[in-house]
Amino acid sequence: MRFKALSTVAAAALAAVLGAGAVAQTLTVGVRGGPESLDPHYSALGTHADAAKHIFDTLVWSGDDLQIEPGLAESWRPLDDTTWEFKLRQGVKFHDGSDFTAEDVKFSIERIPVVTGPTTLLIYVRRVKEVVIVDPHTVHIKTDGPAATLPNDFVRLFIVSHQAAKDFSTKETAAEGFNSGKAAIGTGPFKLVSWEPKGDLVLERFDAYWRGPAHWQRVVRKEMPNDSARLAALKAGQVDLVNYVSSADWLSLRNDARIETFLANSVYVMNLQLDQREPTPRVYDLAGNPLAKNPLRDPRVREAFDLAIDRQVMVDVVLEGLGRPANQIMPAGFFGSNPRLPERQHDPKRARALLAEAGYPDGFKIDLFCTADRLPGDAAICQGLGQMFAQAGIQANVNAITRTVYFPAQAKGEYSVFMNGWGTLTGEASYTLGSLAHTKDETLKLGAFNRIAYSNPEVDALLQAAIKEIDDTKRRALFEDAMALIMADRALVPIVNLQTVWAAAKGKLKMTPRVDEDTLAYFIRPAG
Amino acid sequence: MTGFAIQRLLQAIAVMLVMSAIVFLGVYAIGDPMELLIPPEAPQDIRREIVARFGLDRPLWVQYLTFLGNVVQGDFGRSFIYNMPVLDLILGRLPATLELTLAAVLGATLIGVPLGIYAGYRPDRAGARIVMALSILGFSVPTFWVGLILILTFAVSLGWLPAGGRGATVELLGTQWSFLTANGLSHLLLPALNLALFKLAMMIRLARAGTREIMLTDTVQFARAAGLAETTILRHHVLKLIAIPIVTVFGLELGSTLAFAVVTETIFSWPGLGKLIIDSITNLDRPVMVAYLILVALLFVTINLVVDILYAALDPRVRRGRTA
Repeated sequence: MRFKALSTVAAAALAAVLGAGAVAQTLTVGVRGGPESLDPHYSALGTHADAAKHIFDTLVWSGDDLQIEPGLAESWRPLDDTTWEFKLRQGVKFHDGSDFTAEDVKFSIERIPVVTGPTTLLIYVRRVKEVVIVDPHTVHIKTDGPAATLPNDFVRLFIVSHQAAKDFSTKETAAEGFNSGKAAIGTGPFKLVSWEPKGDLVLERFDAYWRGPAHWQRVVRKEMPNDSARLAALKAGQVDLVNYVSSADWLSLRNDARIETFLANSVYVMNLQLDQREPTPRVYDLAGNPLAKNPLRDPRVREAFDLAIDRQVMVDVVLEGLGRPANQIMPAGFFGSNPRLPERQHDPKRARALLAEAGYPDGFKIDLFCTADRLPGDAAICQGLGQMFAQAGIQANVNAITRTVYFPAQAKGEYSVFMNGWGTLTGEASYTLGSLAHTKDETLKLGAFNRIAYSNPEVDALLQAAIKEIDDTKRRALFEDAMALIMADRALVPIVNLQTVWAAAKGKLKMTPRVDEDTLAYFIRPAG
Repeated sequence: MTGFAIQRLLQAIAVMLVMSAIVFLGVYAIGDPMELLIPPEAPQDIRREIVARFGLDRPLWVQYLTFLGNVVQGDFGRSFIYNMPVLDLILGRLPATLELTLAAVLGATLIGVPLGIYAGYRPDRAGARIVMALSILGFSVPTFWVGLILILTFAVSLGWLPAGGRGATVELLGTQWSFLTANGLSHLLLPALNLALFKLAMMIRLARAGTREIMLTDTVQFARAAGLAETTILRHHVLKLIAIPIVTVFGLELGSTLAFAVVTETIFSWPGLGKLIIDSITNLDRPVMVAYLILVALLFVTINLVVDILYAALDPRVRRGRTA
């Protein structure tokens, strides 16, 4: 009680100093992960971008549902097949009072290849061949070919000040310059006060922000990786808002009158992937000997896997309601998701019949691999899959393992049947289908994450056409057709679309949860 | 004596070399960090470029020799994750762990030893039985669970203490310390208690076992026969005789807690080394893992070296046994 009394006295003293009229509003957020550096160009990680968006702006903004909106660029249009014109917003100021101009855009684009780390941002500027400054508020971007999704790529193009950052733009100096605050000068809603790796990010309102000043005078983002501890800090009143509430905690919070929760669909869909290589390493007959032929290449076997999965049970039981059954590998409503696809059926009897038709009347054995620590519920879904496959006659040896081991082994092609989440971070299909569903092709730079050797020439043709198509309506139709084909092939089997929960002290704030799971203080309003 | 010290020093250097090779190989065997770090949608040419940029396309022995060469010059490399020199990263977080560890180990010793002596001196009293029962609890209840219960009780229900994080700090000798402010102490109390419980139980048991043994020896009989007061016997004879194992364990516990306070630091969001190392393992941040493990090895090798030399200085038999 003594500490509580002390802090009350301190708060009273503070209020007295500030005067009765001015209410110093502070928002304290407990986040699971923070930035890795304050250099926005170092990492493409979601938590990194989440923090960077407080201090910096992106050229193109991605809205609550990942739709692209004007950001520092007011408008953009293609001039020809390989040139995009971006018109920049006028009257935007950096935190140090200098003006935002085309020079900063060119500097930022050219800085990324020099300073970016292993979680590279190169993917977002790889199409750029040249940046031409036409006038202080117009830039022309020359690309290495038709680049229809360039504005989508630029939602991750953070603009730094070319003056403040010019001495901190080599691999050795970047982190030091930005972490110390010398170069961390953005046009964003908050100015940097202090940060240290894994510690608190302290921010202060930037009054001359172009969208208008933020509601909060001060924002503190505390890094709290442990889910239970983060929630405990909220209940103890140490923080006002936390992200990533687990499904078990979410259930108990619904009976807690002091806490309010916010729920959003996430960009992540859990996918089962069925290896199409011949031979495949981890499929066996009932005695445990390797099979002569890869059964996963038979469409009937793949359909049996699909029919074996009861997606409603996955959502209701395994995820405690925090998800939606998925019928494609991107969330519904994203650019290129096909609205005409039917819901997936659950029919273990038909699955058994299909296996028998394919020549496996008694089924076979597989090793099923999944991540266990990457996304909420991944290990539990894996266990659920194992049981559901057993009902259809496929004996699965379930291995839910750490992502640290899973991804390197998966890249080496050690697995035959595996499941992990995939987030469509840019909100449109070229990102997901181009990486997962196109045939692996070095020269076209497509299919980089296609680790099951899935290859359908029709799909490839549609995707290649779509990536070059500048017209939005036509491009959307091409992606939707490709999605329908990929889903019919069932080498990539969607399971559930995850949902994310935030929790806040009741009556403290109002927020609209974002699909990309960012927790942006600028868009959070005090209640009342 | 000098010859013995030099011999031990050479052994220590050899151990460090072998250790560095094992660490490097082990970390290499876990998996390719680039598979975790490079965004999945990156095409092949970007992958190759990034792998080459971090020197991971070269043969393992070249990577190891380059690493050794740099370490000799005091350069442990840069973190993949934070793009900061690894040594800065580790030294920047050492004070937080140091104060937490010292608070826990010192607290456990100062409370545990007197309790243990009491339990050994009067083993039949109810108080002694309660102390022993509590020590079993301290041994057997998992740290993370106790940590969460402490948070629930003292932070959430009672609201007396903060649930996590490090409080206000003040600068002393160029470093930030939190134990010098009231707010910092309030943040330190729960994690230190959580970390101390296991060590407290161990100190109680060590002190009790030692005391029970010493109480039956001739030393104590003679002291009693000489008419010394019981408290004098406890303080001057028993405490001195049981001190040797306690000091040894104290040193080892200090070292291992310093290196591996991971669980407590994670639960209490304590910005120390434990959080850094656990994150670097899950992200396969090789430079941090390797540097950290090598520094920990150095810590233990140094402790052992000092202990060996001290033993030799104290006990001539150790020296002679070596050279004979």
